Amino acid sequence: MWARTVEAVLGCWLAISPFIFGHAPGDTYLWAHDFIMAALVFLFAVLSWWQPTRHAHVLNLLTALWLIGGAWVLAPTPAPAGYQNHVMIGLTLLLFAIVPNDASLPSQVWRDHYAQQSAKHPAA
Amino acid sequence: MESNEQQQRRELQQRITVDLNVPAPPFDYNPSSWGQRIPIAVIASLGVLISVYLSLYEWGLISTVWDPVFGEQSAAVLKSDVAKTMHYWFVIPDAALGAVAYLGDAVLGLAGGTRRWQHRPWMVILFGIDVIPLGIVSAVLVALQGTVVGAWCFLCIVTAIISLTLVFYAYDEVWASITFLYRVWKRTRSKKLLWKAFIGVPFPESDEIALSGSKPKRQSQLAAPAVGGRRQAAQG
Repeated sequence: MWARTVEAVLGCWLAISPFIFGHAPGDTYLWAHDFIMAALVFLFAVLSWWQPTRHAHVLNLLTALWLIGGAWVLAPTPAPAGYQNHVMIGLTLLLFAIVPNDASLPSQVWRDHYAQQSAKHPAA
Repeated sequence: MESNEQQQRRELQQRITVDLNVPAPPFDYNPSSWGQRIPIAVIASLGVLISVYLSLYEWGLISTVWDPVFGEQSAAVLKSDVAKTMHYWFVIPDAALGAVAYLGDAVLGLAGGTRRWQHRPWMVILFGIDVIPLGIVSAVLVALQGTVVGAWCFLCIVTAIISLTLVFYAYDEVWASITFLYRVWKRTRSKKLLWKAFIGVPFPESDEIALSGSKPKRQSQLAAPAVGGRRQAAQG
């Protein structure tokens, strides 16, 4: 679950980044965007701890693509720090969101597969 | 009397009756073992640190950049028109993109169990897609320094060497996964099974196909997936 922890931390970072990168006070879009996206990133990461929604972290691939794509389309040239921050978070999120929950073990389907096998042919 | 810990270990071994450290054909070692993958993550982390340092300079967050060999030339490379053009294209500086790519090498290098070349080929191949083109891109960027910019950047050359080192250490695992998928296709000629093998869904022939293609001296392991039994025998 280390990847989920990193995703949650990235969500927190996005939530405080309007203050760090100084979005203009009148730029309602950027402020709202950062807070809403931060909440979604955090939510999808944390939901993955609950068994029925354990695949929620995959949705962070979408939030990641949104962050990268939004900055790529909307950012003026040269891009303000706030938009560069979106791309950095988006790319990092993309990396971690594809990491499975119990990454150091074979996936659940393989563990079940081997458990079934050993039930059929119990070791002497 | 068996201690509690021994009992737990025995139960775990009975559940995992398969050798997670079996050599991956065509190699006679396991390229997905921690001993193979942790050094890759360490070297990649070094790449992350250097790239982050160079990005800080490209972002203007630090005002000088360290270069013991080429002196002021590093600054000329990092603030060159090529670097600025890439900054406009990618929204972030090229060094920052490199930092994410090295981070990817480390993260994708560490994610997955010690038999992921068979159990999660998609992850090994993503890892390869990150490592191998990254090595090529960083070598191309260094060539651009000499030919287009006409200046050299010491730390950039260090990161290029790191990239190529990573390609060297990472290729065996990627090759084990690709040849496993190839054997699945050759044996079954089934797109469905090939897809299952790629995304890491078990199917009855998977283990046998995965371990075939090894050299004759390891044929015995084909029939003996139960390392738990072997370890127990050693204990007994």
